[in-house]
Amino acid sequence: MEPAECTDCGQKRGDLCRHDPKTTAICFDDVSVNFGGVQVLDSVTARIPRGGCTCIVGPNGAGKTTLLMTLLGKISHSGAVRIGSTPDGRAARVGYVPQRLAFDRGMPLTVMEFLAMGSQRRPLWLGISSDIRERATRLLEMVGAGALARRRVGALSGGELQRVLLALAFQQDPDLLILDEPAAGVDFRGGQIFCELLENLRAEHGFTQVMVTHDLGLAASHATYAILLNGRVIAEGNPTVTLNPENLTRAFGTHMGGAVIGPLSHSCGCEGTGAGNA
Amino acid sequence: MPDLSPILAVIGALIPLECMQAGFMQRAMLGLLLLAPMTAAMGVQVINLRMAFFSDAISHSAFAGIALGALFSVHPHWSMPLLGVAVGIGIVAIGRHSMLSSDTVIGVFFAAVTAGGIALVSRDPSLARDTQIFLYGDILTIADVDLLQLGGLLLLFSAFQILAFNRILYICINPDLAEVHRVKVWAYQYVFAALLALVVIFSVWAMGVLLVTAMLIVPAATARNLARSSGTMFWWAVGISVSSAVGGLLLSAHQSIRTATGATIILISFTWFLVSFVPVALRKEKAR
Repeated sequence: MEPAECTDCGQKRGDLCRHDPKTTAICFDDVSVNFGGVQVLDSVTARIPRGGCTCIVGPNGAGKTTLLMTLLGKISHSGAVRIGSTPDGRAARVGYVPQRLAFDRGMPLTVMEFLAMGSQRRPLWLGISSDIRERATRLLEMVGAGALARRRVGALSGGELQRVLLALAFQQDPDLLILDEPAAGVDFRGGQIFCELLENLRAEHGFTQVMVTHDLGLAASHATYAILLNGRVIAEGNPTVTLNPENLTRAFGTHMGGAVIGPLSHSCGCEGTGAGNA
Repeated sequence: MPDLSPILAVIGALIPLECMQAGFMQRAMLGLLLLAPMTAAMGVQVINLRMAFFSDAISHSAFAGIALGALFSVHPHWSMPLLGVAVGIGIVAIGRHSMLSSDTVIGVFFAAVTAGGIALVSRDPSLARDTQIFLYGDILTIADVDLLQLGGLLLLFSAFQILAFNRILYICINPDLAEVHRVKVWAYQYVFAALLALVVIFSVWAMGVLLVTAMLIVPAATARNLARSSGTMFWWAVGISVSSAVGGLLLSAHQSIRTATGATIILISFTWFLVSFVPVALRKEKAR
């Protein structure tokens, strides 16, 4: 792959993104990141299609989260990251679910307050308005966390906190929902249920979902588009094609080459249940 | 200048103790009633943002503030807040644009303002006596002009707390998440630092450099033990701070006690703090 040239539209470095904005939500155009001499991302050029679930897959240290940070505008990089406006012409709203929320768990703060702090201007010490309360309750029910409203945020389990963070992201009414390692920190079954919940929500609300994961099983069963990353883009496209043994070997190293994962295993007729967590 | 005597007379009438009939006591009471809610509310955010050390650094800029004021013949009531705000904004700016951890940046500024203060004061021995007052604070000498300044600050402060409390809480939880979710984190950080610097400097006059941080964090820490939600933590902190301030002033004026006011206030709020562990222990017992 020519690094300065997009695989999809053949766009050259410095050109305006020529992807059709109707079908493309985000363009990474020759994005490089260097941390104190270490090249974390090397000329990453890739697209994220509108709608669907794009998984950014790669081993630890592949620069997946770094790529996400360039998308969120949190780190400086060369090249360009373009977030397309919505079909009706306004800037895309972003909802973000971080991998681990580093916060002070001893802080007295209820789940209801946690949601209200993002949507209500009136200070929490003057109470939460009934509108905001209703909206927060609806959001919590939507993510299957209706029972958590009165709990303390610091006392939630990893899976519970993840749902509450998802509700907080949904409060933005996002066109773009970005999740960092949603399966990390919860057990295998929990991760599966969470991804199914996201699939249902996506069908209902039609946002573009971008997910970073090192879990190949998760990517294979939930992605509609995959970007395989290891410092640079190894491959991108339909996950059944992209996540083939040859590409996986290039991304993850030799032992992954023979791995069969998730639904892909059926296409090759073997009975393996997959490598799961790489 | 507006006449404060009606307000002072009301305070004298509401607290019909003999000691409260003196003008300086009424002024001190009004000063504390204006100051205590601000330090309490700020304290809640200071402990949530872990900025106790920041407030220490600002309070130590008081000496340099007085000395610079003397050098440029500016009244310390202006030179101290100006330097305090400049130091606060400097800490935030450097913290945002360097790889150093925030406590390192604060430590460097702490050292610089303290050294600057000592260097300037050492040139002029007549200043040394003034600085003594700021070390321990003296609410009993508060003047009408100080009270008006405090009142103005309270108005500004209330507006900020009403408009920004929830957003600051968002930033306390996680600044990156807040920023992605369209909170202008940098703007809130600067305004918060400037306002905290002002509250700290104004508290220095009342409480002294040594006890300012205690005035911020002891009521807030107590409130954190007692409250189960963020809204109630705010009110607990305000209640504890105001009751300690009023109680401290009255006790310190009592014939048989006669302690320094600032220290007495902190000791009362510390008693509150110890008491706050009772419900914590009871909750734990219940959970068992």
